[in-house]
Amino acid sequence: MDLNTLFKSFLGSIFAVMFLGSAVTANAGGQLTSPIPDWTGGAVTCKVAQLILENELDYEVKTVSMPAGANVWEALAAGDMDYACEGWPSYNSSKEIMMKEYGGDGSVVKLGNVGVIGNSTYYVPRYFIDEVAPDLKSYAQLNQYKEHFATLETGGKGRLIACPTPAWECDDQKRLDLLGVDFVAVELGTEAASWAEAQGAYARKEPFLLYAWEPHWIHAALDLVPIELPAHDLEKWPATGWAEDVTWNYGNPDFAKENPDAAALLGNMNLTNSEQAKMILAVDEDGRDIDEVVAEWLAANEDIWRLWLQQ
Amino acid sequence: MSLTRNLKVGFVALCLAGFVVSLAVVSNVEEVSSFPESISEPFEFEQWVNDAEDWLKKNFRWFTRLIAGGIEEALYFVEDFLADSPWLFILMLLVLPALAYGGLPLAILALVGGMFWGAVGMWEASMQTLALMGMSVILSVIFGVMLGILCSQSDRFEAILRPVLDTMQTMPAFVYLLPAVFFFGIGGPPAIMATMIYALPPVVRLTNLGIRQISHETIEAASSFGATRVQMLFKVQIPMSLPSIMLGINQTIMMALGLVVLATFIGAEGLGAEVWKAISKLKVGWSLEGGLCIVFMAILFDRLSLAMGRPKDRIPVNSIPFHLLPQSWDARPWAVAVERVIGMFWNAVASLFGLLVNGLARAAGKVAGVFGRYRGRQVHAFIANRLFLFGSLLFLVAMLLYEWLGPGIGAYPESMRIGIRKPIDEAVMWLTVNPAFTAFTKGMRSVIYLYMLHPLDTYLTHLPWYVVVIVLGIVSWVSVGRNFGMACIALLIFIGAVDLWAEAMLTLSSVLVSVMICFLFGLPLGIAAATSRRFDMLLRPVLDAMQTMPSFVYLIPVLMFFGGNIVSAVIATVVYAMPPVIRLTTLGISQIPVTYTEVSSSFGGTTLQTLRKVRLPMALPSIMLGLNQAVMMALAMQVVTPLIGGGGLGREVFNALNTSNTGYGLAAGTGIVLLAIILDRLSQAWTQTQRKALGG
Repeated sequence: MDLNTLFKSFLGSIFAVMFLGSAVTANAGGQLTSPIPDWTGGAVTCKVAQLILENELDYEVKTVSMPAGANVWEALAAGDMDYACEGWPSYNSSKEIMMKEYGGDGSVVKLGNVGVIGNSTYYVPRYFIDEVAPDLKSYAQLNQYKEHFATLETGGKGRLIACPTPAWECDDQKRLDLLGVDFVAVELGTEAASWAEAQGAYARKEPFLLYAWEPHWIHAALDLVPIELPAHDLEKWPATGWAEDVTWNYGNPDFAKENPDAAALLGNMNLTNSEQAKMILAVDEDGRDIDEVVAEWLAANEDIWRLWLQQ
Repeated sequence: MSLTRNLKVGFVALCLAGFVVSLAVVSNVEEVSSFPESISEPFEFEQWVNDAEDWLKKNFRWFTRLIAGGIEEALYFVEDFLADSPWLFILMLLVLPALAYGGLPLAILALVGGMFWGAVGMWEASMQTLALMGMSVILSVIFGVMLGILCSQSDRFEAILRPVLDTMQTMPAFVYLLPAVFFFGIGGPPAIMATMIYALPPVVRLTNLGIRQISHETIEAASSFGATRVQMLFKVQIPMSLPSIMLGINQTIMMALGLVVLATFIGAEGLGAEVWKAISKLKVGWSLEGGLCIVFMAILFDRLSLAMGRPKDRIPVNSIPFHLLPQSWDARPWAVAVERVIGMFWNAVASLFGLLVNGLARAAGKVAGVFGRYRGRQVHAFIANRLFLFGSLLFLVAMLLYEWLGPGIGAYPESMRIGIRKPIDEAVMWLTVNPAFTAFTKGMRSVIYLYMLHPLDTYLTHLPWYVVVIVLGIVSWVSVGRNFGMACIALLIFIGAVDLWAEAMLTLSSVLVSVMICFLFGLPLGIAAATSRRFDMLLRPVLDAMQTMPSFVYLIPVLMFFGGNIVSAVIATVVYAMPPVIRLTTLGISQIPVTYTEVSSSFGGTTLQTLRKVRLPMALPSIMLGLNQAVMMALAMQVVTPLIGGGGLGREVFNALNTSNTGYGLAAGTGIVLLAIILDRLSQAWTQTQRKALGG
């Protein structure tokens, strides 16, 4: 064997040994995996749960950055992730496939409500109300101002930055048609796209009609005024506004069976909108670290979260 | 000659007349053309796929999970090694090979790029991405080379594999991301599998090509010496096709980096996750930092792998191979001075390491001398002849010793952080409200929409489907051949049968308009770059960045400037697909022998005349190749544009992802693949025609 080959095989065998060595090391136990939600409210909720799980119940929580959506549900059902926080019923169409409560097969279970209650509706920027349309309060007046919202593509109609994806089952165009609002609903594909367009238009002080919900960080960045829609009515849907979104924590069924204390905590949580809003503001407005903000809140509100730990 | 010419003119005139008549007819039709339900109703493609997926899920998951487990262990090992090692050590692991293969300029690129990762606070994320990319590339190369060798040995196998490879490359990754989660879990393993699907084809193709290109004489010489088929393969064919294989690896690296951002959708950490986090909070500056990290990584590995693939002499030991400045600048005194300083520094370093390595060689020689004097001398020579390699190894070992025994290097120091977030955010905001810029964006938007996109889309969707099918079928028949014409018709009918006709037409019109705009801007830029070296040098890094910057990064600013609509989608597509048009135009023009243009000008041709009559026609094959590339890239972009309001097949793929409907996603994804195949073959055929016309 010539030296060149010898040298190469020497290097190769070093790598091989390192590989084998790493393959032997086993995983540690007591570990949970959870996705970090990609919106601040969800991230706060998840961090609250995570810190309690780690500090009080001695779990080790591994977090994964993963955009919300069907991908998270697949991972929960497959057991690659154990639980996820603050699912919004309106925006998780996978619930109908996987969650028993919604007619699914039970491959993902609802652990319990978070306490955060979401409200979805259409919004216009404050400056538009102040400067152009002081009487714009509900959907009934939208047609008067439709030319302000018209664009090249919509012809004479107004334009709504609608629910970004049909997966959320907003049925915006149907709602507008049924309510006689002469607007076109435009789906932009992602949430981020909606906010980006709104922010650009806001900076230029242009009018826009935007589908959004509360609590959400966008309200910290832009001053938006909700437009009234008819009260929610399942019979007349989609000619009405949205139901309140009672958000829940959800997880893998085996995880819930094997870790009753963790599942109980995630099910008993009761984080109110106003408590969550404080933390969202601290993270988004003041630009503080989310770990720090949540740890502070936990230290100051022990009376609140101690209750969640009782089974 | 004149007869065929007349025929050609007649054919073109006939086409134009047909177009005008159909335009007039179609513009009076209110209804959007729809595909007959009698065909689409019984064709339940979506259901079939979903059933197949369920069956696979039940029966094969244990197997895929086994693979995933293995990949995961290996990935964590590499990731931990990269993330836990002192940062300077990793940086040197990149800089030293760059220095060896690419000289000082490449080493500086590696240094700057690596420092940038740390400087913007994304060192760890970069290491994670590096590990992910490294694993995907290694696995792609292992399997790709094997498949490539098989292809080169059997024509039938190649014929079977080719459409599979085409599909792998053009099928939008969103289609298989969700199933990947079920089969391979979350994080690294599914990301690696998804990357392999996308990045494997170039290695297979170029390995196959490399082996098949070896000259007949070489093969015959080897076989006349009595080489068996296996010997031939491993001793002659594979070594000789190494440059080609390296080019394949280069392509694979680029494609693997292209999937980095998408991989966050299935929980892979790294730069992609940083970019996504930034985007979901509309932090343009932050996302740009992440994007630039990816750009640096891409450019570095692109140049490095190209340099490694170039056939080279062994690195000289004592001379100075390290030119920092272009050699054409050698005449300038300051450049000479700079080079001299660098040369002196290099000499000092080289002689220091020369001493060390010689010492090592002597010591190793002594040890090996135990097994005989010849062995000892051999070992000594082996080490002493590899000054750079062993010098680098000594340097790296010294660094590790310093880390373990000395005070240590540790992580990237906080004091060396710089951030470009703020100024970028401010610049974007400034542009957003700037009245002149707003007027410009508004104007551009209306021109693109009113005069290009809207008419073309209306035309294509209102034209009865069978007309589109027949026309495209005939065009394919004439340009490529009868078989392809028939295939083309079948492919189009498939798109209709899965109920995606209107979406496909919208995609087609977006792609065509995007490519048109690419040429409108790209052609003049390419010509300018071919005529001015300085402009070319300025343009090059911009083009590199345009091609490697994850498109997600510029989606947000485009939305803020143009609003969410199909025009934004077209603009994002243009940004992504324009570089090849510019590059190949420049290449085509600068490849023309000087004699041709001189002849033209000596006959009194003006610069413009020379350009129009000589340079552009001569460069046409290259420009047509640019067209082909632009079309393919524009199609690939159609999957990303739904994120900012683009429509068509891409949106359907994305919606399928959101509702975990693999069957529907695959149907829409297949639609994109089929359009890609048709457009690719057509534009390739036209390129061939141009080349033949030039007698090349």
